[in-house]
Amino acid sequence: MSIISLSINNKAIGPIETSDDVMMIEFLHEHLNMTGTKFGCGVGVCHACTVIIDNQDGTSESVRTCINGVSRFNGKKIRTVEGHAKANEFGEIIKLSPVQETFIENFSFQCGWCTSGFVNETTVLVERLKLMPIRVSEIETVIEKALGDHVCRCTGYVKYYKAVKELILSTEGLTRP
Amino acid sequence: MKMNVNILKLSALCLALPLTANATQNDLVEQGKYLAKLGDCTACHTIDEGQANGGGLPFTTPFGIVYSTNISSNKEFGIGHYSLEDFTDAMRGGVAPKGNLYPAMPYTSYHLLTDQDIEALYRYFMSTKPVKQENRDNDLMFPTNIRMGLKAWNLVNHDSKVFEADADKSEKWNRGSYIVNGLGHCGECHTPRDAMFAMDQSRHFEGELIGGALASNITPKELNRQGWTKQDLDDVLRKGYSRKGTVFAGMYPVVFHSFSHLTNDDMSAVTSYLLDNDGEITAKSDTFNGHDKSDPGYDLYKGYCAGCHGIDGEGKPNVSPALIANATIDKAVPINTLSVMLNGVEEQRYSYTHGFYAMPSYRDTLSVKQLTELTNYIRKVWTKQPSDLTESQVQEWVDQIEDSIADAAH
Ligand code: FES
Ligand code: FES
Repeated sequence: MSIISLSINNKAIGPIETSDDVMMIEFLHEHLNMTGTKFGCGVGVCHACTVIIDNQDGTSESVRTCINGVSRFNGKKIRTVEGHAKANEFGEIIKLSPVQETFIENFSFQCGWCTSGFVNETTVLVERLKLMPIRVSEIETVIEKALGDHVCRCTGYVKYYKAVKELILSTEGLTRP
Repeated sequence: MKMNVNILKLSALCLALPLTANATQNDLVEQGKYLAKLGDCTACHTIDEGQANGGGLPFTTPFGIVYSTNISSNKEFGIGHYSLEDFTDAMRGGVAPKGNLYPAMPYTSYHLLTDQDIEALYRYFMSTKPVKQENRDNDLMFPTNIRMGLKAWNLVNHDSKVFEADADKSEKWNRGSYIVNGLGHCGECHTPRDAMFAMDQSRHFEGELIGGALASNITPKELNRQGWTKQDLDDVLRKGYSRKGTVFAGMYPVVFHSFSHLTNDDMSAVTSYLLDNDGEITAKSDTFNGHDKSDPGYDLYKGYCAGCHGIDGEGKPNVSPALIANATIDKAVPINTLSVMLNGVEEQRYSYTHGFYAMPSYRDTLSVKQLTELTNYIRKVWTKQPSDLTESQVQEWVDQIEDSIADAAH
């Protein structure tokens, strides 16, 4: 048993007592009723269950929740897909994040099973490029490398990659000459 | 040798006689089976697939609950003891051997049937598997629980005359009218009711709110304005989905049990009648007026709808119908647009390879203000309808929808 406290989407959670063999995805679904993070393969292959950890040095990283126990997240600041859109005081969505917007505008996903993973991974990518812009010529390789592990069973890859490329090119400061 | 030939002849004759009689009998039963599908009889008279036609399905009327009856060939509980005459009286006049039927049984449409079709139906029902299932008592409030009242109702509201062809129209059109108004009993849902709850024939097919959704206006005028082609109607009635959108709510079982079984000729007659046009109709170009990102409805659309319906409303095969050309949103009164937003739509499966995802209900998510902005926005982008609905109008429609759901549930 461990006592867990963490911050999810800027909300303090815990302290909660959980068993050490509980995986983070289960903790999100069963203890917090946050079902936006999707469970796919359960063995770390499909990356559908990816969430974001915000490090103290201002960088962010993506982490799979199906193969990481909840204690790995103890004391961490994390973001899930539920945390991206802006909501008003009544909890109504008023604005999607630029990543969400670009996926919608490109009609990238179909069933949405892989979407939260793609949204989180792309968000991490964009944040990394903000700190370390890339050359336009590298753009495809960079996207491929960042998102290549994410499985979309509806085969939405082309539209996903197109959307991410569009976003990177249209956001100031992500590319350099 | 000679005798042998005679014996052969004789036996051939013996065989031939009953065979011919059986053949016509079988033909009638077959025809009746087809007609029973057209009339969708089994859908209302079955609660349990194994007990087809055993009755017991509850129907909620403004006066209480009426249960459908056993119409299998069982002699004790079903209609096995009916004579052809009894059956005809029930179909045309709503009068069964035990007394008057409630007009939940659409004899108010079925009276149009020809004698021959009634007989075919009769033969078919007499050939069905007898189901030993007792009828349930209705749960109606006074005074509608007194069947005698129905005699008076019929006197005022029911005219049991047989279909009369319109000499000015084609044979095809007339066949369509016979199907749609008779066994198809489309008017029972699509025609507004008057104060006596009879179909208001002066507003034939102009649409009526039932169980939280609008049985649409299906007059030729409206269907032609919305740009339906014969193929579109054929698709939607046979498959449940078409270029003009999908069916939902009470129309889904109608397609499933009834219209999907129509022969090509009958379907063509139906579409000719509905569009009041025997010829082909070329599709009009679809309305897409482009996005207005400054409209508050744009963000709502993007946040709640575009993920499935596409940013330009193009829809996605096997996921969601397109909003472009969608007849559900191209209506003067946006009740069905609001109805799907409030109630969502259940998943629809048409085959192993074709279907639509469920649409979530936004009843607890969207406020009336947001519903108004979103509905106006959708109308602005994909229809030529005015997009200046006010919150109080929308509130009123929402109330009507909720009332009609409550009515259907009590
Ligand atoms: S569910 Fe975690 S990687 Fe597949
Ligand atoms: S959209 Fe279905 S799995 Fe990617």
